[in-house]
Amino acid sequence: MVKIVIDEDACVGCGSCVEDCPNDVYEMDEAKNKTKVVKVEDCMACLSCHEICPAQAMEHQDIHVAKRLYIDRSVKDAINKII
Amino acid sequence: MNGEIEEIRGTFKPELIPAETGGNIDDYEEALHVLMKFVGSMSSALEQVSGRGANAIVYQAGKRMGHEAGKLMEKTDDLEKAMGELSEILGQEFYFEMWKPSDQDSYTVEKGNETEVKLLFMDCVVRQTLRRTGLPQKGPLCYLLYGYMVGAVEEVMDIRGKLDIDHVGPNACLKTLTINWSGK
Ligand code: SF4
Ligand code: SF4
Repeated sequence: MVKIVIDEDACVGCGSCVEDCPNDVYEMDEAKNKTKVVKVEDCMACLSCHEICPAQAMEHQDIHVAKRLYIDRSVKDAINKII
Repeated sequence: MNGEIEEIRGTFKPELIPAETGGNIDDYEEALHVLMKFVGSMSSALEQVSGRGANAIVYQAGKRMGHEAGKLMEKTDDLEKAMGELSEILGQEFYFEMWKPSDQDSYTVEKGNETEVKLLFMDCVVRQTLRRTGLPQKGPLCYLLYGYMVGAVEEVMDIRGKLDIDHVGPNACLKTLTINWSGK
């Protein structure tokens, strides 16, 4: 089953993930001003929350990872040499 | 000729069908990426020229392909069986499963003459192509797949169907398939 881990140090409390998730998986923890996972069982691992989070504060574990046919390995290798 | 390109040489007669495609995985990868870029550019050009009409054109094209593919499958009235057949037609490149929220008992929801089922597309070549070319999801290329799905379901079940996008993400997209039984 999917597990979502939030890095509370990274989360800036913008609430974008709460707005974005169509299945109400997140809610804002008003006291902490951080997001919290409240309905992990409804997460379908679309990862649109990853794209919207400005802090890259969440990690989804044990999900189906879609095939990434678009990655250009020659570009990736070139970047890896620089970084 | 560029020294890095490995040439394949052999004898060929017109009636021979090659037993192997030749080339290695890197050649296929390159070919796939070129194809992705071509298709992506075509899709965005179509949208620029025809605006929202592009979606309708591509949807119809997909639907026709879906009807053709559906003709090869066994007819059924059973939605779950039809979904199984559909996943065979679409193959691994469009791997999908039925999806439901945790508080819903069954995958199907009956609404008068209609039955709804949510489909979660996990692997999708269209999504990969859009990301390869930096194009947004829900554009004309997505409509090709919607048309294809609807055409195949209509053919297999002998009904009228429609597919709506609920949500798109980089790793999966949720769609609702609606079957209209009175369209039989
Ligand atoms: S992956 Fe999708 S369904 Fe899961 S929490 Fe993120 S937005 Fe919601
Ligand atoms: S989008 Fe990211 S930073 Fe914003 S509330 Fe959600 S986890 Fe925190």
